[in-house]
Amino acid sequence: MQEFKPGREEPELKALVVEASQALARLDRGRLEELSVSCEALNRNLPALTAAGRGELARQAREAVEDLAVFARVLDATRANLKVMGRLRELRTIRLEYSERQVSGWGGPESGHGNH
Amino acid sequence: MGTINSAYALISGALNADQEALSVVANNVANANTPGYTEETPDWQENQAITVGGVSIGDGVSETGATSQRDLVLEQRLNQQQQLASASGTRLTALNDMQALFTPDSGSSSATAGDIGSDITNFFDSFSSLESDPTDNALRQSVLSSASTLAGDISGAAASLNSQSTALNQEASGVASQVNSLTGAIAQLNQQIQSTSPDADAGTLEDQRQQDLSQLSQLVGINQVTTENNGLSITTTSGQLLVSEGSNYQLTTGTVNGVTDFFLGGTDITSDLRTGGGELGGYLTARDQDIPDALSSLDQLADSISTEVNAQNNSGTDLDGVSGTAANPLYIFNQPGAVAGSAAGMKVAMTDPNQIAAAGAGDGTGDNSNAVSMASLAKQPIVNGQTPINQYSSFVSTLGSTVLQVQTENTAQNASVTQLQTQNNALSSVNLNDEAAAMSTMESSYQAASQVFTMLNTIMASALNLGEQATVS
Repeated sequence: MQEFKPGREEPELKALVVEASQALARLDRGRLEELSVSCEALNRNLPALTAAGRGELARQAREAVEDLAVFARVLDATRANLKVMGRLRELRTIRLEYSERQVSGWGGPESGHGNH
Repeated sequence: MGTINSAYALISGALNADQEALSVVANNVANANTPGYTEETPDWQENQAITVGGVSIGDGVSETGATSQRDLVLEQRLNQQQQLASASGTRLTALNDMQALFTPDSGSSSATAGDIGSDITNFFDSFSSLESDPTDNALRQSVLSSASTLAGDISGAAASLNSQSTALNQEASGVASQVNSLTGAIAQLNQQIQSTSPDADAGTLEDQRQQDLSQLSQLVGINQVTTENNGLSITTTSGQLLVSEGSNYQLTTGTVNGVTDFFLGGTDITSDLRTGGGELGGYLTARDQDIPDALSSLDQLADSISTEVNAQNNSGTDLDGVSGTAANPLYIFNQPGAVAGSAAGMKVAMTDPNQIAAAGAGDGTGDNSNAVSMASLAKQPIVNGQTPINQYSSFVSTLGSTVLQVQTENTAQNASVTQLQTQNNALSSVNLNDEAAAMSTMESSYQAASQVFTMLNTIMASALNLGEQATVS
């Protein structure tokens, strides 16, 4: 298993968290999926870390705490925005159904005018 | 003949409708890059059936105008998030300016303005030095010099905070003028839109109104209420009316206790505007909350140090064998009259270093017991139950936390605005994305981000835990 060598081959945790917030702001699903794969790999490598690697990762984690708080807030905001979008879709569906009922009503047998 | 004319009207009506629809499409293309322009789709209205030779021929169709595909729910959410982002952004700028006043330049000496922490340490340390040789003139000069540096830095910081408050006051007044100008424009647009609807869509006018609303949202916290015939009423977030369809109500300003307050119809709504959001909310929060909090902490520090040090010096004996009295006190700093304003008015009152009462009362002039007592004030809880340096550290630390908190809010709110603009563009602007795809992207991005967050949270918790274990081992 590859040793975690922060700051060289691998990006710092802080950069990873900031990138995740930015990708979510842009709704960049592709980038978020890539980041998800990176996180999985990092998570898998955790048990194999040497004492020095653990110390370094702990330093990076401390530096990234504020940025994780930002990420959490962006997630919250996204959840709220999704609710708004969901409500919009609901409203449109209702409008559409209402309009379809109207159209079928106009074309129905009880209609005394229109296309015959 | 009538039937032929009717048939002709049917055909030409369809042609006209096509022509108008084409002009709507052309309008969309021509305005594709116009900020705030909303895509219009043609409205088709069924006409009455036409009877030719006893046979009803269709309804025909005519175009009744274009309806803009804007969505008030989404736009209101966007405006609301813009208000929050704008307020936190404005407040953050002010907080960063404040924090700079208390952040010493790297490599600075204790004489550098803003290094109040070092000034406090140096001042009390100068009494510790004086203990070793209480009659030494250079050591006595050093006490007055460090006292002067401390007083100068505290009063300088207070003056800078007061200047910042004045500047924010002016900025806030300027925002009120912009608000009045925009509410006036929106009221006029309301009149025009209402005279157009419901017979026709007032697409361009509504786009203009939406742009004005967006600008207004960045300036001040507002709520919108749609009224009859596509009119609009706007209130502050606490419900005071700014626009009622075709009329607008002017924000006015007046000076109350030395600062500008904001009025609507004779009612002071400053505190409502402060919590309402927008730039004005940010300016007022910094002016009325952050700066007064900082000044209050500095006032407490200045008042306690001045009062306690003066009292201790007054209780000793100076180099000329004189002890302080009520009529002729031996004060190092000018004695504060009240806590408020102590920081701005802090200065060294003593000019003769011989008046430093290093000796205890009734002791010889070579005694150092009062210098010891004055040095020990550094370790006593003389400022609201804290030592001077701890009170100052706590103040700086609280300010730093506030900056971080507002920064976090601002970054998240800006991200939310970016998301909503992306969604709004997909829905309303002239492009080929459709709403379902936009919604799906948002949902899947949220899910992916949730996974990333869960993993990052786990990794960071483990990393901190593992780091502690590594340190222990």
